Amino acid sequence: MPIYLDCNATTPVEPAVAKLAARFLEQDYGNPASPIHDYGLFARAAVEHARAQIARVVEARPDEVIFTSGATEANNLAILGLAQSALAEGKRHVITTAIEHKAVLEPFEALERLGFEVEILPAGADGRFDPHQLAAALRPDTALVSTMQVNNETGSVQPLAEVANVLAQHPAWWHVDAAQGFGKELEQLRQKRIDLLSISGHKIYAPKGVGALIARKRAANLPPLQPLMFGGGQEQGLRPGTLPVPLIVGLGDAAKLALREHAQRQERCRAFRVQVLAALARLGAIQNGAEAHCLPHVINVSIPGIPSDQAIHALKEVIAISSTSACTSHTRTPSHVLAAMGVSFEQAESSLRLSWCHLTPAVDWERVIDILQQLRQA
Amino acid sequence: MNTLFKELEEATLEQYIHGELPQWLADPVLEVARNPQQYAEKEYQVEMLLAQVLEYDVYAEAGCCKWAYDHEDIKRTLRWLNEAQKGSKGA
Repeated sequence: MPIYLDCNATTPVEPAVAKLAARFLEQDYGNPASPIHDYGLFARAAVEHARAQIARVVEARPDEVIFTSGATEANNLAILGLAQSALAEGKRHVITTAIEHKAVLEPFEALERLGFEVEILPAGADGRFDPHQLAAALRPDTALVSTMQVNNETGSVQPLAEVANVLAQHPAWWHVDAAQGFGKELEQLRQKRIDLLSISGHKIYAPKGVGALIARKRAANLPPLQPLMFGGGQEQGLRPGTLPVPLIVGLGDAAKLALREHAQRQERCRAFRVQVLAALARLGAIQNGAEAHCLPHVINVSIPGIPSDQAIHALKEVIAISSTSACTSHTRTPSHVLAAMGVSFEQAESSLRLSWCHLTPAVDWERVIDILQQLRQA
Repeated sequence: MNTLFKELEEATLEQYIHGELPQWLADPVLEVARNPQQYAEKEYQVEMLLAQVLEYDVYAEAGCCKWAYDHEDIKRTLRWLNEAQKGSKGA
Protein backbone atom coordinates (compact mmCIF):
# COMPACT_ATOMS: atom_id res chain seq x y z
CA MET A 1 0.00 0.00 0.00
CA PRO A 2 1.21 3.54 -0.68
CA ILE A 3 1.98 5.82 2.24
CA TYR A 4 -1.11 7.84 3.11
CA LEU A 5 -0.47 11.58 2.72
CA ASP A 6 -4.05 12.80 2.64
CA CYS A 7 -4.66 13.48 6.32
CA ASN A 8 -6.54 16.71 5.61
CA ALA A 9 -9.17 14.61 3.86
CA THR A 10 -9.39 12.26 6.82
CA THR A 11 -7.00 10.95 9.42
CA PRO A 12 -6.45 7.35 10.43
CA VAL A 13 -8.18 6.48 13.69
CA GLU A 14 -5.81 6.46 16.63
CA PRO A 15 -5.56 2.79 17.75
CA ALA A 16 -6.47 3.58 21.38
CA VAL A 17 -9.52 5.51 20.16
CA ALA A 18 -10.65 2.64 17.94
CA LYS A 19 -10.29 0.22 20.84
CA LEU A 20 -12.36 2.42 23.11
CA ALA A 21 -15.06 2.97 20.49
CA ALA A 22 -15.27 -0.77 19.90
CA ARG A 23 -15.85 -1.33 23.58
CA PHE A 24 -18.93 0.92 23.41
CA LEU A 25 -20.17 -0.96 20.37
CA GLU A 26 -19.76 -4.38 21.89
CA GLN A 27 -20.16 -4.09 25.65
CA ASP A 28 -21.34 -0.75 26.99
CA TYR A 29 -23.97 -0.20 24.33
CA GLY A 30 -26.62 1.54 26.41
CA ASN A 31 -28.64 4.53 25.29
CA PRO A 32 -27.76 7.67 27.29
CA ALA A 33 -31.39 8.75 26.99
CA SER A 34 -32.38 5.67 29.03
CA PRO A 35 -30.67 6.31 32.35
CA ILE A 36 -32.96 3.88 34.14
CA HIS A 37 -30.40 1.10 34.38
CA ASP A 38 -26.63 0.84 34.41
CA TYR A 39 -26.34 0.44 30.65
CA GLY A 40 -28.00 3.81 30.13
CA LEU A 41 -26.27 5.41 33.11
CA PHE A 42 -22.83 4.35 31.95
CA ALA A 43 -23.54 5.54 28.42
CA ARG A 44 -24.69 8.90 29.76
CA ALA A 45 -21.56 9.18 31.92
CA ALA A 46 -19.38 8.39 28.92
CA VAL A 47 -21.09 11.05 26.80
CA GLU A 48 -20.71 13.67 29.53
CA HIS A 49 -17.07 12.70 30.00
CA ALA A 50 -16.48 13.16 26.27
CA ARG A 51 -18.22 16.52 26.39
CA ALA A 52 -15.81 17.66 29.10
CA GLN A 53 -12.78 16.29 27.22
CA ILE A 54 -13.75 18.27 24.11
CA ALA A 55 -14.59 21.44 26.03
CA ARG A 56 -11.19 21.36 27.72
CA VAL A 57 -9.36 21.72 24.37
CA VAL A 58 -10.92 25.13 23.74
CA GLU A 59 -11.49 26.13 27.37
CA ALA A 60 -15.25 26.03 26.98
CA ARG A 61 -17.87 24.62 29.35
CA PRO A 62 -19.03 21.03 28.82
CA ASP A 63 -22.64 22.18 28.43
CA GLU A 64 -21.55 24.33 25.49
CA VAL A 65 -20.69 21.24 23.43
CA ILE A 66 -23.50 20.06 21.13
CA PHE A 67 -22.79 16.78 19.38
CA THR A 68 -23.49 16.54 15.66
CA SER A 69 -22.67 14.13 12.83
CA GLY A 70 -19.62 16.19 11.88
CA ALA A 71 -18.40 19.66 11.03
CA THR A 72 -20.73 20.01 8.04
CA GLU A 73 -23.77 19.61 10.23
CA ALA A 74 -22.25 21.86 12.88
CA ASN A 75 -21.64 24.57 10.26
CA ASN A 76 -25.23 24.27 9.04
CA LEU A 77 -26.59 24.42 12.57
CA ALA A 78 -24.53 27.50 13.39
CA ILE A 79 -25.26 29.42 10.19
CA LEU A 80 -28.85 28.44 9.45
CA GLY A 81 -29.74 28.02 13.10
CA LEU A 82 -29.22 31.74 13.72
CA ALA A 83 -31.32 32.90 10.77
CA GLN A 84 -34.61 33.11 12.61
CA SER A 85 -33.33 35.28 15.45
CA ALA A 86 -31.46 37.53 12.99
CA LEU A 87 -34.61 38.07 10.94
CA ALA A 88 -36.57 38.76 14.11
CA GLU A 89 -34.04 41.47 15.01
CA GLY A 90 -34.17 42.93 11.51
CA LYS A 91 -30.55 42.00 10.80
CA ARG A 92 -30.04 40.69 7.28
CA HIS A 93 -26.33 41.20 6.64
CA VAL A 94 -23.92 38.27 6.97
CA ILE A 95 -20.21 37.97 6.19
CA THR A 96 -17.95 35.08 5.31
CA THR A 97 -14.78 34.53 3.27
CA ALA A 98 -14.10 33.23 -0.22
CA ILE A 99 -11.85 30.43 1.04
CA GLU A 100 -14.40 28.72 3.27
CA HIS A 101 -15.32 25.08 2.83
CA LYS A 102 -18.48 24.39 0.85
CA ALA A 103 -20.07 23.38 4.14
CA VAL A 104 -20.03 27.08 5.01
CA LEU A 105 -20.44 28.65 1.58
CA GLU A 106 -23.53 26.63 0.70
CA PRO A 107 -25.41 27.43 3.94
CA PHE A 108 -24.61 31.07 3.16
CA GLU A 109 -26.17 30.58 -0.26
CA ALA A 110 -29.22 29.24 1.57
CA LEU A 111 -29.26 32.40 3.72
CA GLU A 112 -29.19 34.46 0.54
CA ARG A 113 -32.29 32.63 -0.68
CA LEU A 114 -33.93 33.53 2.63
CA GLY A 115 -33.34 37.20 1.92
CA PHE A 116 -30.00 37.83 3.63
CA GLU A 117 -27.36 40.00 2.04
CA VAL A 118 -24.20 37.92 1.88
CA GLU A 119 -20.81 39.61 1.76
CA ILE A 120 -17.80 37.47 0.88
CA LEU A 121 -14.34 38.66 1.84
CA PRO A 122 -11.49 37.96 -0.60
CA ALA A 123 -8.22 36.24 0.27
CA GLY A 124 -4.62 37.19 -0.43
CA ALA A 125 -1.85 35.21 -2.06
CA ASP A 126 -0.77 34.15 1.42
CA GLY A 127 -3.99 32.13 1.72
CA ARG A 128 -5.56 34.39 4.35
CA PHE A 129 -8.38 36.85 4.43
CA ASP A 130 -7.69 40.39 5.64
CA PRO A 131 -9.25 41.43 8.98
CA HIS A 132 -9.17 45.07 7.84
CA GLN A 133 -11.59 44.15 5.07
CA LEU A 134 -13.81 42.54 7.67
CA ALA A 135 -13.73 45.74 9.72
CA ALA A 136 -14.72 47.72 6.63
CA ALA A 137 -17.54 45.30 5.80
CA LEU A 138 -19.19 45.31 9.24
CA ARG A 139 -22.52 47.12 9.52
CA PRO A 140 -24.93 47.72 12.38
CA ASP A 141 -27.22 45.09 10.86
CA THR A 142 -24.49 42.45 10.49
CA ALA A 143 -25.91 39.39 12.21
CA LEU A 144 -23.21 36.79 11.60
CA VAL A 145 -19.54 36.55 10.69
CA SER A 146 -18.19 33.12 9.72
CA THR A 147 -14.45 32.64 9.26
CA MET A 148 -12.50 29.41 9.16
CA GLN A 149 -9.56 28.72 11.45
CA VAL A 150 -7.32 26.77 9.08
CA ASN A 151 -7.90 26.37 5.38
CA ASN A 152 -8.41 22.76 4.35
CA GLU A 153 -6.62 23.09 1.02
CA THR A 154 -3.57 25.17 1.93
CA GLY A 155 -3.20 24.68 5.69
CA SER A 156 -3.11 28.46 6.11
CA VAL A 157 -3.91 29.58 9.65
CA GLN A 158 -6.32 32.49 9.53
CA PRO A 159 -5.92 35.71 11.57
CA LEU A 160 -8.49 34.95 14.28
CA ALA A 161 -6.85 37.07 16.99
CA GLU A 162 -7.20 40.10 14.72
CA VAL A 163 -10.82 39.19 13.97
CA ALA A 164 -11.49 39.06 17.71
CA ASN A 165 -10.20 42.62 17.99
CA VAL A 166 -12.33 43.75 15.06
CA LEU A 167 -15.43 42.17 16.59
CA ALA A 168 -14.70 43.18 20.17
CA GLN A 169 -17.29 45.97 20.17
CA HIS A 170 -19.67 44.52 17.60
CA PRO A 171 -22.60 42.29 18.61
CA ALA A 172 -22.52 40.04 15.51
CA TRP A 173 -22.32 36.33 16.21
CA TRP A 174 -18.95 34.90 15.23
CA HIS A 175 -18.74 31.37 13.92
CA VAL A 176 -15.43 29.61 13.25
CA ASP A 177 -15.21 26.44 11.17
CA ALA A 178 -12.39 24.72 13.04
CA ALA A 179 -12.60 21.36 11.28
CA GLN A 180 -8.95 21.49 10.23
CA GLY A 181 -7.42 23.15 13.25
CA PHE A 182 -9.21 21.85 16.34
CA GLY A 183 -6.71 19.90 18.42
CA LYS A 184 -3.86 20.99 16.16
CA GLU A 185 -3.58 24.74 16.74
CA LEU A 186 -4.71 25.15 20.32
CA GLU A 187 -4.42 28.78 21.34
CA GLN A 188 -6.61 30.44 18.70
CA LEU A 189 -9.78 28.60 19.62
CA ARG A 190 -9.54 29.57 23.30
CA GLN A 191 -10.42 33.12 22.26
CA LYS A 192 -13.61 33.84 24.21
CA ARG A 193 -15.02 36.18 21.56
CA ILE A 194 -15.67 33.18 19.30
CA ASP A 195 -19.33 32.31 19.78
CA LEU A 196 -19.61 29.16 17.72
CA LEU A 197 -17.03 26.55 16.76
CA SER A 198 -17.48 23.61 14.39
CA ILE A 199 -15.28 20.57 14.88
CA SER A 200 -14.95 17.19 13.23
CA GLY A 201 -13.95 13.82 14.67
CA HIS A 202 -12.31 12.31 11.63
CA LYS A 203 -9.78 15.11 11.29
CA ILE A 204 -8.34 14.37 14.74
CA TYR A 205 -8.00 10.56 14.68
CA ALA A 206 -11.55 9.79 15.84
CA PRO A 207 -14.11 7.91 13.72
CA LYS A 208 -16.12 9.47 10.92
CA GLY A 209 -19.70 10.47 11.59
CA VAL A 210 -19.23 12.61 14.67
CA GLY A 211 -18.42 16.22 15.36
CA ALA A 212 -19.70 19.03 17.49
CA LEU A 213 -20.82 22.59 17.53
CA ILE A 214 -19.35 24.39 20.52
CA ALA A 215 -21.68 27.26 21.35
CA ARG A 216 -20.19 29.61 23.92
CA LYS A 217 -22.58 31.35 26.23
CA ARG A 218 -22.89 35.11 26.35
CA ALA A 219 -24.16 36.37 29.68
CA ALA A 220 -25.07 32.78 30.63
CA ASN A 221 -27.16 32.26 27.48
CA LEU A 222 -26.39 30.12 24.47
CA PRO A 223 -26.51 31.87 21.08
CA PRO A 224 -30.16 31.92 19.90
CA LEU A 225 -29.89 28.82 17.71
CA GLN A 226 -32.94 27.09 16.33
CA PRO A 227 -32.78 23.37 15.57
CA LEU A 228 -32.70 22.24 11.96
CA MET A 229 -34.21 18.85 12.77
CA PHE A 230 -37.02 17.79 15.04
CA GLY A 231 -37.95 14.63 16.84
CA GLY A 232 -36.34 14.51 20.26
CA GLY A 233 -34.96 16.68 22.98
CA GLN A 234 -31.34 15.58 22.82
CA GLU A 235 -28.51 18.09 22.91
CA GLN A 236 -30.59 20.79 24.59
CA GLY A 237 -33.24 20.42 21.91
CA LEU A 238 -30.84 21.59 19.22
CA ARG A 239 -29.89 18.28 17.66
CA PRO A 240 -32.42 15.51 18.14
CA GLY A 241 -31.56 11.87 17.60
CA THR A 242 -30.07 9.04 19.62
CA LEU A 243 -26.51 9.89 20.50
CA PRO A 244 -23.90 7.65 18.80
CA VAL A 245 -22.05 6.82 22.00
CA PRO A 246 -19.13 4.88 20.45
CA LEU A 247 -18.39 7.79 18.10
CA ILE A 248 -18.78 10.41 20.81
CA VAL A 249 -16.53 8.50 23.19
CA GLY A 250 -14.01 8.23 20.35
CA LEU A 251 -14.16 11.96 19.71
CA GLY A 252 -13.71 12.68 23.41
CA ASP A 253 -10.70 10.39 23.68
CA ALA A 254 -9.19 11.85 20.52
CA ALA A 255 -9.61 15.34 21.99
CA LYS A 256 -7.88 14.22 25.15
CA LEU A 257 -4.96 12.83 23.16
CA ALA A 258 -4.79 15.97 21.03
CA LEU A 259 -4.18 17.99 24.18
CA ARG A 260 -1.91 15.53 25.92
CA GLU A 261 0.28 14.72 22.93
CA HIS A 262 0.17 18.05 21.15
CA ALA A 263 3.87 18.88 21.47
CA GLN A 264 5.07 15.43 20.37
CA ARG A 265 2.71 15.37 17.40
CA GLN A 266 3.81 18.83 16.29
CA GLU A 267 7.44 17.81 16.56
CA ARG A 268 6.91 14.71 14.42
CA CYS A 269 5.00 16.68 11.81
CA ARG A 270 7.69 19.35 11.68
CA ALA A 271 10.43 16.75 11.22
CA PHE A 272 8.44 15.16 8.39
CA ARG A 273 7.90 18.59 6.84
CA VAL A 274 11.64 19.14 6.55
CA GLN A 275 11.85 16.08 4.30
CA VAL A 276 8.81 17.15 2.27
CA LEU A 277 10.17 20.64 1.68
CA ALA A 278 13.57 19.28 0.67
CA ALA A 279 12.04 16.88 -1.85
CA LEU A 280 9.67 19.47 -3.29
CA ALA A 281 12.47 22.04 -3.63
CA ARG A 282 14.32 19.66 -5.95
CA LEU A 283 11.26 19.63 -8.19
CA GLY A 284 11.00 23.41 -8.31
CA ALA A 285 7.64 23.33 -6.54
CA ILE A 286 5.84 26.59 -5.78
CA GLN A 287 3.99 26.73 -2.49
CA ASN A 288 0.40 27.95 -2.60
CA GLY A 289 -0.06 30.01 0.55
CA ALA A 290 2.58 31.46 2.83
CA GLU A 291 4.86 28.98 4.60
CA ALA A 292 4.96 31.29 7.64
CA HIS A 293 1.22 30.78 8.27
CA CYS A 294 1.03 27.09 7.42
CA LEU A 295 0.36 24.33 9.94
CA PRO A 296 3.24 21.85 10.06
CA HIS A 297 1.33 18.82 8.74
CA VAL A 298 0.17 20.10 5.37
CA ILE A 299 1.46 21.79 2.25
CA ASN A 300 -0.12 22.82 -1.02
CA VAL A 301 2.24 23.13 -3.97
CA SER A 302 2.19 23.48 -7.71
CA ILE A 303 4.84 21.59 -9.62
CA PRO A 304 5.40 23.38 -12.93
CA GLY A 305 4.95 21.22 -15.98
CA ILE A 306 3.15 18.38 -14.22
CA PRO A 307 -0.65 18.34 -14.19
CA SER A 308 -1.90 17.26 -10.79
CA ASP A 309 -4.07 14.38 -12.02
CA GLN A 310 -1.07 12.87 -13.82
CA ALA A 311 1.14 13.28 -10.77
CA ILE A 312 -1.41 11.64 -8.47
CA HIS A 313 -1.78 8.72 -10.88
CA ALA A 314 1.96 8.27 -11.38
CA LEU A 315 2.61 8.31 -7.64
CA LYS A 316 -0.26 6.08 -6.60
CA GLU A 317 1.97 3.10 -5.76
CA VAL A 318 4.20 5.23 -3.52
CA ILE A 319 2.13 7.92 -1.86
CA ALA A 320 -1.61 8.67 -1.69
CA ILE A 321 -2.11 12.39 -2.17
CA SER A 322 -4.82 14.68 -3.46
CA SER A 323 -5.17 17.55 -5.82
CA THR A 324 -6.76 20.69 -4.54
CA SER A 325 -7.58 21.88 -8.00
CA ALA A 326 -10.88 20.02 -7.72
CA CYS A 327 -10.73 19.62 -11.46
CA THR A 328 -13.11 17.22 -13.01
CA SER A 329 -12.49 15.91 -16.45
CA HIS A 330 -15.62 17.51 -17.79
CA THR A 331 -15.66 20.93 -16.10
CA ARG A 332 -11.96 21.67 -15.48
CA THR A 333 -13.07 24.02 -12.72
CA PRO A 334 -10.15 24.97 -10.49
CA SER A 335 -10.25 25.08 -6.71
CA HIS A 336 -12.29 28.03 -5.47
CA VAL A 337 -9.70 28.52 -2.73
CA LEU A 338 -6.74 28.81 -5.06
CA ALA A 339 -8.79 30.98 -7.41
CA ALA A 340 -9.64 33.30 -4.50
CA MET A 341 -5.93 33.55 -3.70
CA GLY A 342 -5.23 34.71 -7.25
CA VAL A 343 -3.45 31.52 -8.29
CA SER A 344 -3.44 31.19 -12.08
CA PHE A 345 -5.44 28.45 -13.78
CA GLU A 346 -2.22 26.74 -14.96
CA GLN A 347 -0.72 26.80 -11.48
CA ALA A 348 -3.95 25.53 -9.93
CA GLU A 349 -4.07 22.68 -12.42
CA SER A 350 -0.69 21.45 -11.22
CA SER A 351 -1.44 21.82 -7.53
CA LEU A 352 -1.04 19.01 -5.05
CA ARG A 353 -1.91 18.78 -1.39
CA LEU A 354 0.24 16.63 0.84
CA SER A 355 -0.93 16.19 4.42
CA TRP A 356 0.48 13.86 7.03
CA CYS A 357 0.31 13.18 10.76
CA HIS A 358 2.21 11.77 13.70
CA LEU A 359 1.32 8.25 12.57
CA THR A 360 2.72 8.67 9.04
CA PRO A 361 5.62 6.31 8.28
CA ALA A 362 8.73 7.29 6.30
CA VAL A 363 8.36 7.99 2.59
CA ASP A 364 10.85 7.06 -0.12
CA TRP A 365 11.28 10.63 -1.37
CA GLU A 366 13.97 9.68 -3.88
CA ARG A 367 11.43 7.48 -5.62
CA VAL A 368 8.84 10.26 -5.54
CA ILE A 369 11.32 12.67 -7.12
CA ASP A 370 12.35 10.15 -9.79
CA ILE A 371 8.75 9.46 -10.79
CA LEU A 372 7.86 13.14 -11.05
CA GLN A 373 11.04 14.04 -12.95
CA GLN A 374 10.36 11.25 -15.46
CA LEU A 375 6.79 12.47 -15.79
CA ARG A 376 7.99 15.98 -16.53
CA GLN A 377 10.40 14.73 -19.23
CA ALA A 378 7.78 12.51 -20.87
CA MET B 1 -0.48 4.71 33.60
CA ASN B 2 1.16 5.02 37.03
CA THR B 3 0.93 8.80 36.71
CA LEU B 4 -2.82 8.49 36.30
CA PHE B 5 -3.21 6.50 39.53
CA LYS B 6 -0.85 8.83 41.37
CA GLU B 7 -2.90 11.80 40.17
CA LEU B 8 -6.07 10.10 41.33
CA GLU B 9 -4.62 9.51 44.79
CA GLU B 10 -3.39 13.09 45.10
CA ALA B 11 -6.67 14.57 43.87
CA THR B 12 -8.70 12.39 46.21
CA LEU B 13 -6.61 13.28 49.24
CA GLU B 14 -6.80 16.96 48.31
CA GLN B 15 -10.59 16.86 47.99
CA TYR B 16 -10.94 14.82 51.17
CA ILE B 17 -8.61 16.87 53.35
CA HIS B 18 -9.21 20.35 51.93
CA GLY B 19 -12.44 19.92 49.98
CA GLU B 20 -15.78 18.34 50.70
CA LEU B 21 -15.28 14.78 49.51
CA PRO B 22 -16.66 12.60 52.32
CA GLN B 23 -14.64 9.73 53.72
CA TRP B 24 -17.20 7.14 52.65
CA LEU B 25 -16.54 8.20 49.05
CA ALA B 26 -12.83 8.93 49.37
CA ASP B 27 -12.06 5.45 50.72
CA PRO B 28 -13.23 3.42 47.70
CA VAL B 29 -11.61 5.90 45.31
CA LEU B 30 -8.32 5.58 47.17
CA GLU B 31 -8.72 1.82 46.95
CA VAL B 32 -8.67 2.19 43.17
CA ALA B 33 -5.82 4.71 43.20
CA ARG B 34 -3.63 2.48 45.33
CA ASN B 35 -4.16 -0.65 43.24
CA PRO B 36 -2.90 0.27 39.79
CA GLN B 37 -2.21 -3.33 38.85
CA GLN B 38 -5.75 -4.43 39.67
CA TYR B 39 -7.26 -1.63 37.56
CA ALA B 40 -4.57 -1.44 34.88
CA GLU B 41 -7.00 -2.43 32.11
CA LYS B 42 -9.58 0.13 33.20
CA GLU B 43 -7.75 3.30 32.27
CA TYR B 44 -10.85 4.86 30.74
CA GLN B 45 -12.98 4.61 33.88
CA VAL B 46 -10.04 5.65 36.07
CA GLU B 47 -9.59 8.78 33.94
CA MET B 48 -13.29 9.47 34.32
CA LEU B 49 -13.02 8.98 38.07
CA LEU B 50 -10.09 11.41 38.23
CA ALA B 51 -12.08 14.07 36.32
CA GLN B 52 -15.02 13.58 38.67
CA VAL B 53 -12.89 13.85 41.81
CA LEU B 54 -11.09 16.95 40.50
CA GLU B 55 -14.41 18.64 39.80
CA TYR B 56 -16.33 17.26 42.75
CA ASP B 57 -18.95 19.51 44.24
CA VAL B 58 -21.63 18.62 46.74
CA TYR B 59 -24.06 20.99 45.00
CA ALA B 60 -23.27 20.00 41.40
CA GLU B 61 -26.94 19.35 40.64
CA ALA B 62 -28.30 22.29 42.60
CA GLY B 63 -28.41 24.96 39.87
CA CYS B 64 -30.25 25.26 36.59
CA CYS B 65 -27.69 23.04 34.91
CA LYS B 66 -25.13 20.53 36.03
CA TRP B 67 -21.72 22.16 36.21
CA ALA B 68 -19.64 19.73 38.27
CA TYR B 69 -19.70 16.13 39.52
CA ASP B 70 -21.40 14.95 42.68
CA HIS B 71 -21.34 11.79 44.80
CA GLU B 72 -23.79 10.01 42.49
CA ASP B 73 -21.41 10.40 39.58
CA ILE B 74 -18.47 9.03 41.54
CA LYS B 75 -20.53 6.17 42.96
CA ARG B 76 -21.66 5.24 39.47
CA THR B 77 -18.11 5.23 38.07
CA LEU B 78 -16.93 3.10 40.97
CA ARG B 79 -19.76 0.67 40.28
CA TRP B 80 -18.79 0.62 36.60
CA LEU B 81 -15.16 -0.03 37.46
CA ASN B 82 -16.03 -2.85 39.75
CA GLU B 83 -18.59 -4.40 37.40
CA ALA B 84 -15.96 -4.47 34.71
CA GLN B 85 -13.56 -5.83 37.30
CA LYS B 86 -15.88 -8.74 38.03
CA GLY B 87 -16.02 -9.44 34.30
CA SER B 88 -19.77 -9.19 34.00
CA LYS B 89 -19.54 -6.39 31.45
CA GLY B 90 -15.95 -6.87 30.39
CA ALA B 91 -13.25 -4.28 29.84
